[in-house]
Amino acid sequence: MATVVEGGRDPRGAVTPRPQAPISGPELASTPLVIRRREDEETVVTFPYLVWREFLAGLAAFVFLMLVSIQVNAPLLQRANTSITPNPAKAPWYFVGLQELLERFPPIMAGVAFPSFVIIFMILTPYLDRNPSRRPQDRKVAIVLFTIYVCLAVAFVVIGEFFRGEAFNWDWTLILGHPGLSSPV
Amino acid sequence: MSAPPGQANPVRAFVAQLWGSVFRHGLPTNDKVAARTALTNFFLHIHPVRVKKSAVRVSYTLCLGGLSFFLFILLTITGLFLMFYYIPSVDSAYQNVKDLQFVAVFGDIIRNMHRWAAHAMVITVWLHMARVFYQGAYKPPREFNWVIGTFLLLITLLLSFSGYLLPWDQLAIWAITVGTNMAKYAPIVGPYTRYLLLGGDQVAQGALIRFYVLHVIALPLIGFLLMVVHFWRVRKDGFTGGL
Repeated sequence: MATVVEGGRDPRGAVTPRPQAPISGPELASTPLVIRRREDEETVVTFPYLVWREFLAGLAAFVFLMLVSIQVNAPLLQRANTSITPNPAKAPWYFVGLQELLERFPPIMAGVAFPSFVIIFMILTPYLDRNPSRRPQDRKVAIVLFTIYVCLAVAFVVIGEFFRGEAFNWDWTLILGHPGLSSPV
Repeated sequence: MSAPPGQANPVRAFVAQLWGSVFRHGLPTNDKVAARTALTNFFLHIHPVRVKKSAVRVSYTLCLGGLSFFLFILLTITGLFLMFYYIPSVDSAYQNVKDLQFVAVFGDIIRNMHRWAAHAMVITVWLHMARVFYQGAYKPPREFNWVIGTFLLLITLLLSFSGYLLPWDQLAIWAITVGTNMAKYAPIVGPYTRYLLLGGDQVAQGALIRFYVLHVIALPLIGFLLMVVHFWRVRKDGFTGGL
């Protein structure tokens, strides 16, 4: 039986191969219709091995969402009214980080330059990162830079969502509650 | 029911024919049949026949890409149910959503699920991207699939954002007002972009119908197409696995 080796330009030389027993003997004979990997790593049939796991993951997600949906109602405020502005008026949570940036930087920076920079940089990531290795110990710079980005993005969203009160001013009482009151307002 | 000797049991033969007409294979009792199942089944051909065990370990993928796709399907189904009740008009939209929440049987659960699954999908897609970055899985030959993934993240955000307006409550209209005001800051094209998006200067009927059409047709179609290419390339570019 011919062994088909997958080609492509995957620079596998950069990845340290794991010491693993190659497929041989009866196992080799009983695996027809297989595109076998060059490094002869242990493989499994996707059906049912992987499909079963996907089914379980989907089921767990569905049950979790069903329980949440039974317990927690989606927000529905008063009917839209252009003459009553809520204070503060906030963007959806995933854009609240941008709103927070707008508080701190001129609009042309926060509203245009930063987001464009992030999107363009994200798209270009695989072409800018010339390091062929995938091992964390070889990618310290990339990992540190990306982690800084993740921390900043999360921090801005958390600040905008939980620390900004009336007129988008800094407000500790959103999470700490008012002095003298027992629960957060 | 037993057949006379030398003659096939007609019931068993019919069941075999019925099964054989639907599935071109038996139950996956061994690797050979399992491989043929994956090869000949339309819904399973999204997967290769075999994968490296290390590439599909739950501790490696964290199921994030798969969960994002699952949430997309769940959102499509719950969204369809919501569409039966919802009319994208400023006169009726809010009342339709109220009816869903308080009158329609299971309407509240379907709407809640649509809302929470949408938030969850923004999170899972984002985490999936972070997971792929930390494992360096965007490196050659998978560069372009990362690019497609970036657009899928943007589509996910736009889907969520366009859906935000539809309940036509105070939360919806003001979040979209704040969100679309950000577009104004872009030089030259900013105000035009906002006008184009809202179909006017204010968040009103023009904006509602535009966001509705984007939300239920345009963005899901673009997203679906990008997903098909994304999954195809996951197969064709090969799996990473085992750092």
